[in-house]
Amino acid sequence: MSAQIAAIIAHAEVLRSDARALAACTERLRAIEAGLKAGGGAPHWLHASVTAHLAACAAAAADLETAAQRLSRYADEASP
Amino acid sequence: MTAENDPAAGPLRAAARELVDIALTIQDAAAHATAALTDDALLRALPHAPSAARQTYRALLRATTNRQGLGCALTGGRLATVSAKAGAMLGAESLAVRVLATSLRLRVAAVAVAHPELTGDPMLARLIDAAAADRDLEAVRALRSLLKDRGAVHALSQLAPVFGEVLALRALLDENPLNDATAWLIATGKGFATADPITGMSNRAVAVLDTGEGAARRIELTAAESARLCTRGSLLGFLGNISTIGTTGRALVQSVEGPDGVIRHVLQAPGMRVGRPDGESPQDLLGAFSSAVLASSPYSRALAEAVADYGLPPGAELALVGHSAGGAAIMNLAQDPDFCARHTVTHAVAVGSPVDFKHPADPRTWVASVTNQHDIIPTLDGQGAGTCFDLHPDWYVVDYGDSTHLFPHCHSIEHYLANITDHLPEARDLIDERLTPFRGQVVRSQAYLLFDRPPDPEEFPFLTVPTRAVESPEGTVELPIRCRDGNALTAYFAVRPTAAAGLLEGTGLGPAVQVAGHALVAVHAAWNRHTSAGGYGELHVGVVAPGPFRRRSRPPVWSDLLRRRSCLSVWPDLLRAADLRRSGSFLVGSAVDTTIVRALGPRLWGGETYLTPLELRLGTRSAHVTVGQILTLRGRLGPGLPLSDPGLVGYTREAGAVLRSCVRTRGQARLHPAPSLRLVVEPQSTHPLADQLCELGLDGARPLLCLSATTRQTLRDAAVPVPPA
Repeated sequence: MSAQIAAIIAHAEVLRSDARALAACTERLRAIEAGLKAGGGAPHWLHASVTAHLAACAAAAADLETAAQRLSRYADEASP
Repeated sequence: MTAENDPAAGPLRAAARELVDIALTIQDAAAHATAALTDDALLRALPHAPSAARQTYRALLRATTNRQGLGCALTGGRLATVSAKAGAMLGAESLAVRVLATSLRLRVAAVAVAHPELTGDPMLARLIDAAAADRDLEAVRALRSLLKDRGAVHALSQLAPVFGEVLALRALLDENPLNDATAWLIATGKGFATADPITGMSNRAVAVLDTGEGAARRIELTAAESARLCTRGSLLGFLGNISTIGTTGRALVQSVEGPDGVIRHVLQAPGMRVGRPDGESPQDLLGAFSSAVLASSPYSRALAEAVADYGLPPGAELALVGHSAGGAAIMNLAQDPDFCARHTVTHAVAVGSPVDFKHPADPRTWVASVTNQHDIIPTLDGQGAGTCFDLHPDWYVVDYGDSTHLFPHCHSIEHYLANITDHLPEARDLIDERLTPFRGQVVRSQAYLLFDRPPDPEEFPFLTVPTRAVESPEGTVELPIRCRDGNALTAYFAVRPTAAAGLLEGTGLGPAVQVAGHALVAVHAAWNRHTSAGGYGELHVGVVAPGPFRRRSRPPVWSDLLRRRSCLSVWPDLLRAADLRRSGSFLVGSAVDTTIVRALGPRLWGGETYLTPLELRLGTRSAHVTVGQILTLRGRLGPGLPLSDPGLVGYTREAGAVLRSCVRTRGQARLHPAPSLRLVVEPQSTHPLADQLCELGLDGARPLLCLSATTRQTLRDAAVPVPPA
């Protein structure tokens, strides 16, 4: 396996891991909002902000997962 | 009360911290995607699978630029950074930035728990909301309304608790790419704000303008200041000393005998000196800036010089106490391994100082930081009341709010002293308890004047001359008298020629110098603050004469013309350096205010010298001379033309000979062609000099012109006889 292919595979693995981390971020964002709401200290604007971040994190996770898949396929096809 | 202790603010700060973690995770993902996109490996493999490569690049580009996902998230590497900055300029923030902005808004909300005015005040709330929503125009309008309604002082003071957060919000969301790094540092608490959050101008670039190895010279405090210094060590005592020294470019080192009988030492460093931003003092504006931003600054190096000069025994225990820039400077000493190797720095107490990113070299150094939440100065490192990070869990941090919100008043050492005395008894007691080894009798105090770089010796080169001791009835004095620091005023009056003619008769000094048919009389007053004979004032009254060895009168037909020419030629001579000058004042009377100089009078200038109180107050615009029961000369000096101080030449007649005395000077003077001063002889005075002034017609007279020198050095040696013609 050439060095280029190894590098591409490594990128794919890192991005796949990042996609999972971003997916976890959505859970962490929900937990933040829920925690503040439960304590009665959530600012009125927080829900809108968290909702926007949740959607963005989900989209980013999907984008990264797609990029990871493409990188893996690229590595497969470029292998001799 | 500190916001940190407020239970309602805790969850908000924790949520803000968690959001920072999430933002960093997102930023890492963005960096990884950018790294993949820009990796040469992908490009080199392209010929083997062009179709898959195209799809891969498309997916990576989408991942790093999708506004619904990571946003404009290119990061890392030069090209990616340029692209990201271009994106920022187009207003396309990354998801990480948006999450960080939410974290900062939660920090503002946490501060608002203790400061409800931040969200309850419609104007403040409008500004904060506009900053958080990236509505530039709205934010500017809100700020303008706030300034107009409250004034700059109130607006700044009210914003102070969240100043860092609001600036960071603006910096994160605005279109200026230069301030993004600073906003990240403030928002993530990773380090000192490296640039101005508004313009993005590098703080370090500004701080490095403050150069110098630092120097300290011993200086005596005034009697009043010495009397106000604490006699026993305590937190309030040391802070009171800092207040006494003031922001005058000085610092203080004291030794105290602790309760265990051990002598320990305390360095006390005040805040920024008001005046030129970059003067000779390391306590100027640039010095304050560099002390806060850099690990070592001219201020901290000057303090180290002071400690070295003070002469601490090896390993002696040392406590450091500083206010404002002084707090940052003492923390620089505490984090200097070399300094801590020479001295045992046991305590560092910083009051109203930006010290969040300082780290003592010796982990045993106990650190206390006291800050008022309405004081902007401690937030200049980016972390203020709203910080959600516990950067120094081992420090004792008091971040309090008081009812007085006004900045800069709340930054003053006097305000901190009052707060610690009256409102923070718990903090005061705890710090005092930790300072117990230093709470004893003060056994030595030494003040230092601090400099960016070692100053030239005050007397070099002008006053570095051979000297000799001379005896007088009042004691021994070194001649020439060397004055390091003084000022002087010479006022030239027009008087009746007949009044002056008799005085000069037989002196060989020629007829009095005339102006429009009037003789010229000089009244010279000088205040010699620091001289080799002590401080003294002097007054001389004399008729201005061309001097000896002038050409005699010519045949009658030419005499009138030649006399005029002769008079004209005197004027340039009057402005020549004293040691080269022939013209001078034939002294009709002199007065001084110290017995030793009076005793030297006959030797220094000859003639009668009176002893009388003398006061000279000289500014750039006005002068006020009071000479005992003799005269008052005061009024406005008017515009002045700069010139080199020409010094003074005096002549007297002594036992049939004419003596010439000379004051050589170094410094700048100003020639005032239209002064509005008036000389008044003291009414009913029987003083001989007062009589003389009246005879010359000077009572109520206004000078034609004046010569003032507000700062000068002088050399005055003994008068010498004029050789016979």
